[in-house]
Amino acid sequence: MATTNPETHKDTIPFYPDHLSTEVKVMLGIVVLALLVGILGMLFPVGLQPPADPMDTPAHVKPEWYFLALYQLLKFIPKTIGALIPVLLVLVLALWPFFDRKQDTKKATRIRLIAVTAGLILLIALTIWGEVS
Amino acid sequence: MSLPKRRNAVRLVLIVLGALTLLLVAAAWHGQAAIARAGRSIDQTAQVLNAVPVSISPPTPEENSCLHCHIGGENKNLWTPLARWSVFGTFGLVFVFGIYRSASVWTQRKPWKPLTVRTAEWVDERYQISQPLSKILSKPVPRFALKWWYCLGGITAFLFVVQGLTGIMLAFYYKPSADLAYASIQFIENEVRFGAAVRAIHHWAANGMIVLCVAHMLRVFIMGAYKKPRELNWVSGVTLLILTLAFGFTGYLLPWDQRAFWATTVGTEIAASIPVIGQLALVFLRVGWDVADLTLSRFYGLHIIIVPLATVAFMLVHFMMVRRLGIKQPL
Repeated sequence: MATTNPETHKDTIPFYPDHLSTEVKVMLGIVVLALLVGILGMLFPVGLQPPADPMDTPAHVKPEWYFLALYQLLKFIPKTIGALIPVLLVLVLALWPFFDRKQDTKKATRIRLIAVTAGLILLIALTIWGEVS
Repeated sequence: MSLPKRRNAVRLVLIVLGALTLLLVAAAWHGQAAIARAGRSIDQTAQVLNAVPVSISPPTPEENSCLHCHIGGENKNLWTPLARWSVFGTFGLVFVFGIYRSASVWTQRKPWKPLTVRTAEWVDERYQISQPLSKILSKPVPRFALKWWYCLGGITAFLFVVQGLTGIMLAFYYKPSADLAYASIQFIENEVRFGAAVRAIHHWAANGMIVLCVAHMLRVFIMGAYKKPRELNWVSGVTLLILTLAFGFTGYLLPWDQRAFWATTVGTEIAASIPVIGQLALVFLRVGWDVADLTLSRFYGLHIIIVPLATVAFMLVHFMMVRRLGIKQPL
């Protein structure tokens, strides 16, 4: 399963022009979406807060939304462990293929799907919690 | 019937010589007509030219305000000769090209090859690119990969291109210093034509890139596409995710408003609480103990040079390995 199977003509399409045209269509869709965002951005600009002032700490200091979950986590566990966890998590994530070397099965796929869903729900919950708190 | 090549060359030379003779005769006739219109002979013209000292320098504006009209000898507007030259010059080029084409078909006894084909062949002879290119383009794509969730990585890559283009546009007006950054963003938002639109695209596409990056990774993870022999591609993908987050983290500071300043303060504090290397990371990121002017310079350098270069390098590796190993067949 791991290696590419010999592809017969029946279950493939040529890259050019069949597949490339699909890709160009997707790209044009993204461009249209980007232009739409641009038009909306002229009506509702991204905007700016007051200029940076190191002397004046705002009431709710928050990082970017994609670091909010980590930020919320750090409120409940000691800082040293809390900063170590994401580093280890990224390391484990990067080296995951070398830990999981078994032949892939349908059951393993289902387990991974459930794990990802649970992790995602946890992440989103923490992010929302960090946003509202 | 086919003639020997040598005689064809002679014919071509004769055609060119004949055309030149015709041209000379026509020019001489035209000159005679012009002199007749002026009402004097060639000798008289020579006398006039000898009598009057010829000034090479152009007339002063007081003498003649319309320099071009003076040289052209006509009282027309400035663009008339230019338009005339471009229109009739194009006709002339087309005419010359037609003669060359007919002559070459006649002498070589072969159908005419279009200029596009000639150019492609000329380039290919020098770069030898058509064979590898056709190999790349003819690679078959498996039908099982024609689902929308196989698009996520490609869309992320395209958003990176969008970010590059809009980022370059913003860099034309942005000033990376604590004194000027805020005002320059205000200038982009309020004064620059489409500045607010470009900034909005850059802002929202950045968020979309992070979402799509994570979505692509989850898709690959769930389908088990990271397994042998694609382990290193997974590693390069995780590196690309980290680089995308680095893009977001460094880009967030650049507007230099309260939100940017304090988000970076908090973010670098998180980095500082990593054991052993934490303080080093903090000083490296802030260039000192506080978020200040130098932090902004460092983040700008990382955001527009270091991180993009690393991203492009890893993207190339990522794509080449996808191409070589193919897409994993789902179970």
